[in-house]
Amino acid sequence: MKEFMMIFIGADYQELGLSPEELQDRMGKWFAWGDKMGAQGILQGGKALVPVIKRVVGKDRTVSDGPFAEGKEIVGGYYIVTAENADAVVEIAQDYPDYDLGGTVEIREVMVFNN
Amino acid sequence: MEHKIVDHLFRHHYGKMVAILTRFFGLSHIETIEDAVQDTFIKATLQWRTQLPDNPEAWLTKVAKNRTIDLLRSIKAEKNRFQKVTSGVSSIQLNDLFLDHEIEDSQLRMIFVACHPSLKPKEQIAFALKTISGFSTKEIAAALLTKEDTIAKRLSRAKKSITANNIAFDFPPPKELQNRLERVMEVIYLTFNEGYHSTNTEKLVREDLCGEAIRLCKLLLKKEKLRSGSLYALFALLCFHASRLESKTNALNEIVDIREQDRSKWHFPLIEIANRAMTKSSYYDDFSIYHYEAAIAFEHVKAKTFEETNWKNILRWYSKLHELQPTSFTLLNIAIVNLQLNELNTAKKVLEELRINDLGQRQYLYFGSYAEYYLKQGERDLAKNYFEKAISKTSNSLEKEYLRKKVERL
Repeated sequence: MKEFMMIFIGADYQELGLSPEELQDRMGKWFAWGDKMGAQGILQGGKALVPVIKRVVGKDRTVSDGPFAEGKEIVGGYYIVTAENADAVVEIAQDYPDYDLGGTVEIREVMVFNN
Repeated sequence: MEHKIVDHLFRHHYGKMVAILTRFFGLSHIETIEDAVQDTFIKATLQWRTQLPDNPEAWLTKVAKNRTIDLLRSIKAEKNRFQKVTSGVSSIQLNDLFLDHEIEDSQLRMIFVACHPSLKPKEQIAFALKTISGFSTKEIAAALLTKEDTIAKRLSRAKKSITANNIAFDFPPPKELQNRLERVMEVIYLTFNEGYHSTNTEKLVREDLCGEAIRLCKLLLKKEKLRSGSLYALFALLCFHASRLESKTNALNEIVDIREQDRSKWHFPLIEIANRAMTKSSYYDDFSIYHYEAAIAFEHVKAKTFEETNWKNILRWYSKLHELQPTSFTLLNIAIVNLQLNELNTAKKVLEELRINDLGQRQYLYFGSYAEYYLKQGERDLAKNYFEKAISKTSNSLEKEYLRKKVERL
C-alpha cells in the first residue's frame, strides 16, 4: 500500500458567496465522503487551509502578501489516503463534493525513502 | 461514525446570530454583522471536515461570540462609530444575549423591524427572508420568482430605510403593537402563499418558504403578549395548508388538484396541530380573515373523499370572509363553490360581478371557472374556448399542462 495526497484546489466557499443552507449541504457531502473513507480505513488525515497567502521569494527573501492567484487556483486543503496505486485514488476522488463549483483534485504519491 | 447535523441548522442559526449581534451592536452595523456570521459557517465547513464537534450548535455560537468580540474591537477602533455602538446596549452583558429566551426575543425584535411601515411590502418580505431566515439573495430570488439584482436592490433599500428612519431594534410601543402585529401576520401569510401557490419553483424551495412562515408564526406564539385569536387562526391555516403540500404535485412535478389528491398522504400530525390552534383561537375575542380561511381549509381536510366535501359550509365561510374583507379573489372562490354545488346561475352571476383585473396572475382561474360553467351547461365548444383563454393567460407551464389535459378530456 502506498500513501497519496489529494490536494483540493479552487472552490473557495468564501469567494463563491454560498448561503448558509448551501454551506450546510456541502458539509454534509464532505462528511459522507469522510465517513466512507473512514469505514474503508484508508483516510490517514488531512487539513483545510486558510485562503490567505504569504510568500517568501528569492535571494533577498522578499516577503509579499497576495493576491497571487485567482480563487480557483488556491489550494484549499488536503487529505492523505492509502491506496494500491494512483488509479485507485482517482476512484476515491470521484466523491470529492465540489467539482460543480469548479474545484479540482490533484493526486500526488508521497515519496518513500528506503535506506 | 455517522455524521448528522440537524436540518437547516446553519440557516436557522444565521437568523439567531444576526439578531443577537444586531441587538448588541445596533441596526446600523447589520451588514458587518451578516458578513461576520457568514464567516462562522465558512470556518465550520472547513474545520468540521476532519473533526465534527460534539455539539455543533454550541460550537457555532462560541465562534460567533468570539467573532463578536473581534468585531467590537474593530468597531471601537473606528472612533467615530464608537458612540453609536455603546448606546443602548451598555447595560446588557453579551453572554446574557446568548440565552435561549433572549435569542427568541432578539429574533422577534428583528421580525418587527422587518415589518416596519417605512419599508415597502416587497422589501419587508425580502429583508425578513434574508435577515431572519438566512436565505441568500439568490435563494430569495428563486423563491419569489424574481431577478437576483431586484432582490439585492430591495434589500439595500430596506437597509437604507432602516437607517434613514432611525428604526429602533425593539418591540413597537404598546399602542402600536396591534397594528404592527397585523402587518407581521400579513408578511408571514404572504411568505407562505409564495411557497404554497408558486408551482414554478422547485418543490424544495416551496417547502422552505412554507416552513419558514410556520416557524416565524410559532416564534410569535411563544410570547404571551403577542398571542391573539388571529395569530392562532393564522397558525392553524398555515398548518392545514401545509398538511397537503406533499400531495399537491406528483413525482413528475405535475399539479394534482384536490379532487385527485391522495388523501392518505396528507400529513395528519400537522392537521392535529392546526385543530388545537383553532381551538385556542376561540379563547380570544378578536376575529380575522384567518379565522374564516382556516375554517375553509379545515372543511377540505375534514372530508374523507372529495365527494364528501361539505360545500355548503365552505360557501358559508367564504360569504362571511367576503363580508369582512371583500375581494375579487373571494368572489372567484365563491363562484367555484357555486359550481361544485351545481348552483350554475348564481355562479355565473358572481363571475359577472367580480373585477377580472383584480385577479392579476390568477386570471386563468376566472376563465377556467367559466369553462367549467359551460361544461356543466353542456356547451362543450364554449367550454373549450374558455379553457384555451385560460391557457393563454398563464405563463406557468405546469398550469398550462394541467389545463391542456382538461381540454383533451372534453
